[in-house]
Formats: sequence, structure tokens, C-alpha cells
Amino acid sequence: MLHVNDLNVSIGETPILKGFNLDVGPGEVHAIMGPNGSGKSTFAHALAGRDSYEIAGTATLDGVSLLDMEPEARAAAGLFIGFQYPVEIPGVNNMYFLRTALNSVRRARGDTEIGARDFLAVAQEAMDLVEMKPGFLNRAVNAGFSGGEKKRNEILQMAVMEPRLAILDETDSGLDIDALRIVASGVNALRGPERSMIVITHYQRLLEYIRPDFVHVLVDGRIVESGDHTLALHLEDNGYADFVNHDLDDTPVRPLSGAAR
Amino acid sequence: MTATSTTDLPDKLNAPAYPTRRDEAWRYAPHDVLRRLSFGPINVLAGDLPDTIDGQIPVLEGPRIVVVNGIVDHTRSDLSALPPGLRLIPLADARRDQPEMVAAHADTSTSGADDAFAEHNRAYAQDGAIIHVAAGHHLGAAIHIVDVTLADDTTNASCSRVMIHVEEGASATVVETRIGAGGFGGSNTQTTITLGDDASLDHIVLQDVPSTQVHLSHIDVAQGARSLFKGYLFNLGGSYGRVAYNVNLAGKEARTDLSGLYFGTGDQTLDQQITVIHGAADCTSRQSFRGVLDDSSTGVFNGGIDVRPGADGTDAEQANDNLLLSDRAEVNTQPRLEILADDVVCKHGATVGQLDDDAVYYFRTRGIAEAEARRLLVHGFAHQIVDVVQDPILQDWIGERLGDLNG
Repeated sequence: MLHVNDLNVSIGETPILKGFNLDVGPGEVHAIMGPNGSGKSTFAHALAGRDSYEIAGTATLDGVSLLDMEPEARAAAGLFIGFQYPVEIPGVNNMYFLRTALNSVRRARGDTEIGARDFLAVAQEAMDLVEMKPGFLNRAVNAGFSGGEKKRNEILQMAVMEPRLAILDETDSGLDIDALRIVASGVNALRGPERSMIVITHYQRLLEYIRPDFVHVLVDGRIVESGDHTLALHLEDNGYADFVNHDLDDTPVRPLSGAAR
Repeated sequence: MTATSTTDLPDKLNAPAYPTRRDEAWRYAPHDVLRRLSFGPINVLAGDLPDTIDGQIPVLEGPRIVVVNGIVDHTRSDLSALPPGLRLIPLADARRDQPEMVAAHADTSTSGADDAFAEHNRAYAQDGAIIHVAAGHHLGAAIHIVDVTLADDTTNASCSRVMIHVEEGASATVVETRIGAGGFGGSNTQTTITLGDDASLDHIVLQDVPSTQVHLSHIDVAQGARSLFKGYLFNLGGSYGRVAYNVNLAGKEARTDLSGLYFGTGDQTLDQQITVIHGAADCTSRQSFRGVLDDSSTGVFNGGIDVRPGADGTDAEQANDNLLLSDRAEVNTQPRLEILADDVVCKHGATVGQLDDDAVYYFRTRGIAEAEARRLLVHGFAHQIVDVVQDPILQDWIGERLGDLNG
């Protein structure tokens, strides 16, 4: 499904990702963990298409090369990014935004657009998923939302967009335990054999709720360790120190996905 | 066409001089263009209007007066079924049949304008509308006054007047639409508003004259105690669209809420000149104006709060936020605060910014193409003012124009 090969990303003169490799198979949930500044968010936004990055390497989703596409085309190709800091957009109605988003990708895929009335049913289902109160959709996008509401709105968007691959960037940051539970159960409900996810997180806590198939440790722009969910527990106990102090140039290339392909 | 009596014409020797760039309130006006305006009766009649003009007028439910080139067009006006408490009369008819009513209004209203264009208006505006709402009446449907200018080659600038008096404890809504057709020309409108004690008025100005024309508008408001004036300005059309408000909070505990949107494209200049005078104690005023400037358009916001001696307990706020969509667009925003009273809360703030790149990117990651993302964000910014107007017909009318403007 997703193949990332030798991805190098720099911002200005500063290299952030240095030969990043990752394979994600259909239906798999991968967690990427790492200390601050290791390049986790850069990976998410390099795939999503934020400009201001210098990028080399390849990334394909279902065989389609992502890196030359506009961000909106990547969304149409089935990529979804859950933002660590969702942007507040005063004046743009959440419902209108969601329907415009859904219809934009439908149009790009050659599907028919969905009308306002039919969309209401789609939106309602997504709202139930993240336990949103009625009226939530009539507010401006993220404007004045609490941290938890913003993250729930990201998951709601994911539910509406039905992506092939979702990258959730620090979706757990700033959440209290109740919001975390709601967000995680939303994510779990959206897991399926045709949908893959990459969960980026700083802490192991989220992975108690969303159990990943694979865990990768990202340090200084490279994945230095991969394993199953027990790797996250190891990190919880020992921190990143084991990995940070490696002389990374000597680190042998490891099989980066547990997927035997 | 009625001839203008020569005795009404301004004495050229005594008439105030044309404003110049040195006049702060006229600094950004296109003075060479303004000098090409020639005022007087325009020799084009209502029957000459293109059919398309009717499509430009929002269709509201209440009564309406349509003024074409400074003269009321009775065929386009609807004065049937006026609600109890409302007198709505073409100004020329009122001057002829009920001069005492016009005189009474002139006595109660104040005019802050003393420039050459105000003088032209006093001289040439024979017609327009007079609106009188009797004490204690609450009118439902909006009263609609439409000013249409169709310029001809010789006399290209029209003048009209609207006089509004809402008596004690009464309330009403007035919509003033200013449109036009044809080549180079201009319209010059004066609105004088008097609110009695405890009266309230919603007053909406839709300025959308064609880009071949200039529009000069002056709105004077005199407020009694505890009265409420809500002014909504949509300054959209014209090569130069200028709307000046002079609001006088003359009675205790009066309140005025002014909000406005200017949305410039091409090489338009859209100019708002606002003065709110706190002339009595415990009055409240709010100014909230937003500008969107694209291409090489220019926005002007010159907003004054003038707190007179004795106006203790004043609560005044002013906000002006601007969005520049092009590096050739320009905005000039200037607060003017003069505070001569004690115990005053006065806040003002102005911002000038561009579209938020992070917001554009966020939308694009949701599959929304860049142009559409920008359009949504611009509308989001503008609609925070549009949404203040609660009438869906007006919202649609404004939204359509913003859609047109934004391509």
C-alpha cells in the first residue's frame, strides 16, 4: 500500500529526514515514536505535501507516486493527515467545509457529488463516532474549539473522507483521558482491512488504546528500530536513550516493517 | 424633467472649495476624477434604464421607493399597503404637499458635512424619500430605498436625499441600495437620520454602482436617549466608493453599532470615513469594519471616536481588519480618538494581513483545490460581517456579489 524509500527531507539547509524507509501493508496500523525533533511531523507533512520542504526519495500509495502531486491530489489519492495543531478557520462553517472536502475528492475521483441532505446522514454517523454534540457542525472550523474538540474534529473528518491511509500526527497531544478514549475509539472503529494507519506519537499512552501492528523508533531522521507493540512498552520503561546515543552511521539496516513481503 | 430653480444653486463664490488631497478625509480620493463630475438634472429618464437594472435590485417584501437619476420612478416604486405608523413619501411630493414635515425633519437632523459635495447635494437633490415612523410603532418589513444612476454625456452626476425619522420608542429597518448603469458618472446621496428616545433603526447600505461610476454618500445620524442605531455597510462598487458616517450620540445611554465590509478588485478605491460623537453620558458605540483588497485596489478606513466633555461613562470600541490578496493592493487605516471626558473606556485595533498559508494548506490536505481553498477563506473572513445581517435575501444578494467579485 504505502512504500517510502530513501526519503530525505530538509528545511532550508537543515536535513530533517535522512534516508527514511517504511512499508505499510493494507489494514496495518504502524506507530512511529521518537523524541522531539526527530522528524515525525516532518514525515507526515512531507507526505501530505506541505511546501517549503526540499525532498528527495520516493513515496507511493497504491502504486501512485505522491511526492510530485499537489496536496489536494494526494487527498484524492486516499491520503489523510490528522494535524497535531488543527488550524482555526473563523467564518467557514464546519459542515460546509466537510462537504466541500468530501465532494472535492469525489469529483477528483470521478464520483458524483453528494447533496446537502445526503451529506447530513454521513456527517451524523461521523459525529456519533466521536461523540460530538449536535450544533458542532454549525460552528466555524476549529474556531474556539477546545484541544479535545479539535482532535475529535480531525477524526470526524477522517471518518467522512474515508481515506486509504491515515497519518495521525500526535493526535494524543493535549488530550485528557476522556478525550483520548473518544479519539482512540473513533480511530479503532475506522480500522479495516482496506485502510492503513500511521500513528505518530511521543508517548506510549495512546498505544494502550490503539494497539499497533508495528512500532518504529525514529531518531534523528531515521528509523533505528522496528518491532511489535512490545517495543513501545520498552520505550515507556527505558526512554529513547538507548537509541539516541547510537552512532547511527554504524546502525545496520533493519527490516523496517514487520510485514513479511 | 423638473427644472432646478436657480436660486437653489450654490453661490459659486461662497460655496466651499472642492476638497483636496490635503484634506485628511479626502486624502485617498481620485480628485481628478471627482472634478469631471458635473452635477445637475440628468437628461435620462427612468424609461431609458436597461432591463438588466431590475435584476440588480434585491427583492425585499416591504414598500420601496426607486430613485432614478435623482427623480423618483413611480413605476418601479411600491407605496401600496404601508403599515400603520409609517409615512413613506417621495421627497419632492413631500416638499410640495407637506413642507412642514420636511422642515420639521430638517430641524431635528444635523449634518456634519460641509464640503463641496454636500453643498452640491443640498442644491441639486430635489427628490428622494422621507420616512417617518410614528412613536411606538414597530415595523416588520424593511423599507427599501433604491438609488439608480444612469449617466449621460453632459450631466453625469445625480443627487438624492433620504430623510429618516424614527419617533420615540418606534423601530424600523431601512435598506438603501445604490446601483447604476452606463458610462462615466457618479451619484451623491445624503441620508439624515433622527432617532427619538428609545427608538431603534437597522440601516443597511448596499453600495454596488458600476465600475464606470463613483459613489459619494454621507450619512448623518442623531440619536436620542437610549436609542439604538445599527448601521451595516457593504461598500462594493464603483471606481471610487465613499461612504461617510457622522453619528451623534446626543442622548444618554444611546448605542450605535456600525459594521461594514469593503471588498475591492481591479483598481477600485473604497473609502469609509467614520465619526462617532459621544455627546452624552453612558453611551456605547461599536465599529467593526473589514476590508478585502485584491488586484491593485485600495481600501481606506478613517475611523473617529470623539468623546465630548461631559460624556462620562462612554464605552467605545473600534476594530478594522483587512485582508490583502495581492501585493499591489493597499489599505490605509487610521483611528482618530479624541477624548475629553472622564471615566471612558475606549478601545481600538487595526490589522492588515494576508491569507493564512497554514489554513490554505490545511484545506488542501482535505482535497480542496488551492483556488477554492482561498475563495473559502476569503469568504470566511468577509462573511463574519455578512452574517451580521440576518435577512437571508440580503445575505444572498451580498454573497452573489462577493462571488462575482472573487471570480
